[in-house]
Amino acid sequence: MLERVSRPRDVRRWPGSIPVRHRYTPGVAGEAFFSALRDRGVLLGSSCERCRFVYVPARLFCERCFAELEPDAEVGPGGEIVSFTIGSVGLEGEPLDEPVALALVRPDGADAVLLHRVLDPGDEPLEIGRRVEIVLRPGNERTGSILDIEGFRVED
Amino acid sequence: MGRRVAVVGAGMTRFVRRAQETGKELAWEAARAALDSCEIGLETVDAVCLTSAPDAFDGVHMKGEYLSDGAGAWGKPMIRTYVGGGSGVFAGIQAWYTVASGMADVVLVVAEEKMSSCRPHPQGAFLTIFDSVLERPLGPNLLWIFALEMNRYMSAYGLDKRDIASVAVKNKRNAVAHPSALLADADITVEDVLASETLAWPVQRLDVSPISDGAVALVVAAEGVAERLTHRPVWIEGVGWNLDTAYWTNRDLAFPEYVANAARMAYAMAGVTEPRKQIHLAEPYDPFDYKELHHLEGLLLFDRGGAPEAARDGVLERDGDLPSCPSGGLLGVGNPIAAAGLMKLAELFWQLRGEAGARQVPGTPERGVAQAWGDLMQVGTVVVMGTQGASGRTATAGPAGTGASAPTPPPAPRARSLSEDQFLDAPGAVEHAVDARYEWDAGVAIGRFLEGLRQGRILGRSCTGCERVLVPPRMFCERCFRATDAWVEVETSGTLETFSVCHVAWDMERLATPQIPAVVSLDGSDGGFLHLLGEVDPDEVRIGMPVEAVWRHVGERTGSILDIAYFRPRREVG
Repeated sequence: MLERVSRPRDVRRWPGSIPVRHRYTPGVAGEAFFSALRDRGVLLGSSCERCRFVYVPARLFCERCFAELEPDAEVGPGGEIVSFTIGSVGLEGEPLDEPVALALVRPDGADAVLLHRVLDPGDEPLEIGRRVEIVLRPGNERTGSILDIEGFRVED
Repeated sequence: MGRRVAVVGAGMTRFVRRAQETGKELAWEAARAALDSCEIGLETVDAVCLTSAPDAFDGVHMKGEYLSDGAGAWGKPMIRTYVGGGSGVFAGIQAWYTVASGMADVVLVVAEEKMSSCRPHPQGAFLTIFDSVLERPLGPNLLWIFALEMNRYMSAYGLDKRDIASVAVKNKRNAVAHPSALLADADITVEDVLASETLAWPVQRLDVSPISDGAVALVVAAEGVAERLTHRPVWIEGVGWNLDTAYWTNRDLAFPEYVANAARMAYAMAGVTEPRKQIHLAEPYDPFDYKELHHLEGLLLFDRGGAPEAARDGVLERDGDLPSCPSGGLLGVGNPIAAAGLMKLAELFWQLRGEAGARQVPGTPERGVAQAWGDLMQVGTVVVMGTQGASGRTATAGPAGTGASAPTPPPAPRARSLSEDQFLDAPGAVEHAVDARYEWDAGVAIGRFLEGLRQGRILGRSCTGCERVLVPPRMFCERCFRATDAWVEVETSGTLETFSVCHVAWDMERLATPQIPAVVSLDGSDGGFLHLLGEVDPDEVRIGMPVEAVWRHVGERTGSILDIAYFRPRREVG
């Protein structure tokens, strides 16, 4: 049944796209998280008493027991590195001028972890278990974005 | 047919234009309400059946997995299905076989849709349902399909638009009693519908359901368990689904045979032999007012072309002989696609338990049917639910239930509505486009077809199995499932099967000059062919008129569907 293509330039193709864009809104708990981050400079989580689990960012419900949660657990600004990686190539595989250190950090008081950049990792090798400080941008530069967190700074 | 299966709980959010909730928050609100309604927690749930529209809607790939925590699937088996608009009802079918097979005793069914994320209009995500090579170059929008089908339906049976518009009026009035409703209107009249903006004639603004955000959930349980969870299980007596050809212009646009096939399947399982007598209420799929009527006929509840008269005579009203969409339907409550379908099963559940409050249909209905429609506008999904279980079985639900003791009115629905400004100013909001481009190959049959167009010829493929000449051509016949036999040149003239006069583009912006999409049945072929009409006053177009192709000049042809400039009324050869 396969028909051999003898004149490849005659193969008919139509270029196209799915012409939409998306606006992602953070939802009920997400708005509370981003407002607190922007306006008060705090990391807001949600604590499930029943499951003894503190989520961050805040959530409207506990996925384990389905209880409704309040966004009222302030966590951080200290934390601990749970894992890390150092990226030395970009999305297209190009070498980066400066390697990017990324870490999963469990903020103090939370069970969930946050992903962000490690600031000025310096010459000392990163280690799982190292203490970090979660550094925010100054209040007048915060817009309500995950980039209101500047990154993690390894404590001396 | 496996174990008996019942619905034991239901819950839903409000349907709103733009929800503050994320998709998973919406899913959780509905799922939590459904679990609360039968007083169980997640620990009682064995498996989750989830449905939601294509990932392109929300711009979230693996959307089912993304939604899983809101659907209660943490640490559980979950499967997501999607059959277009038919999804919500199909999720009930999926829950039925998950339980009937013995794989799970209790299933949480969740249908979620968040359409507000998709900009400028969610129709953009639907454009690829049109054939990329044969149809998209014509500049189609989704309304074309509905308008062309509605016109064909009206023409085939000589229907009055007023009778069709009365369905929109009925549903928007019914929705006044629904606490989740987005588009309820107690005062709407047929005149309002007929005076609303024409989008794609004969489809007007108020003939159409709105895009919405929302979620619905059910709890479904096996016989023996269901009676312990609630005093009044509502049994899934029959399920059916069926697909027509993917070539939509080759379908019978006046009658949805695939819905009839799905209904026959469900009725046979439920022991329903006289649907009109044995079905006491219906929740047919009503994204457009004509579709409710079209589907009532497909459900074999009325003769072909007979449902509009029933609408006019009040038969379909909440206190009529066959209440149809007592919920208010998609036209009144709203149309968050997958969720809207599952709402129909939730409505049967509440109505058959006598818990529908101000929406309650009179009498003591014992059996209802819900139906939805989707995929490439070719699937019918049907569920029959009843208080007695399938006929031929023991009539009662077995020992008196020991679950919740009194009828619990459904909890007040949640979902917070955002204004446009709140939506645009939401802290933390970001906007992205999926930066993906595609190249669609014409393939074997259409490649040759396009080469024919370049030469001013229209080619079909013959199938000696069913004795059809197929246009658009395909190398296999989907009915006989055998290779087609030969290339056949068909006429470049034919008969107008149906048409629309379309005033809007897919993003709902008004067109400066309306387009006249049409389905043409080419002489010498079987089945219709989509193109545009030209050289004609829209007011003078008539179904059944002879038309002919107008070709581009030879030097301008590129081997494209646009090598035919358009079709025009046929001129006498002189």
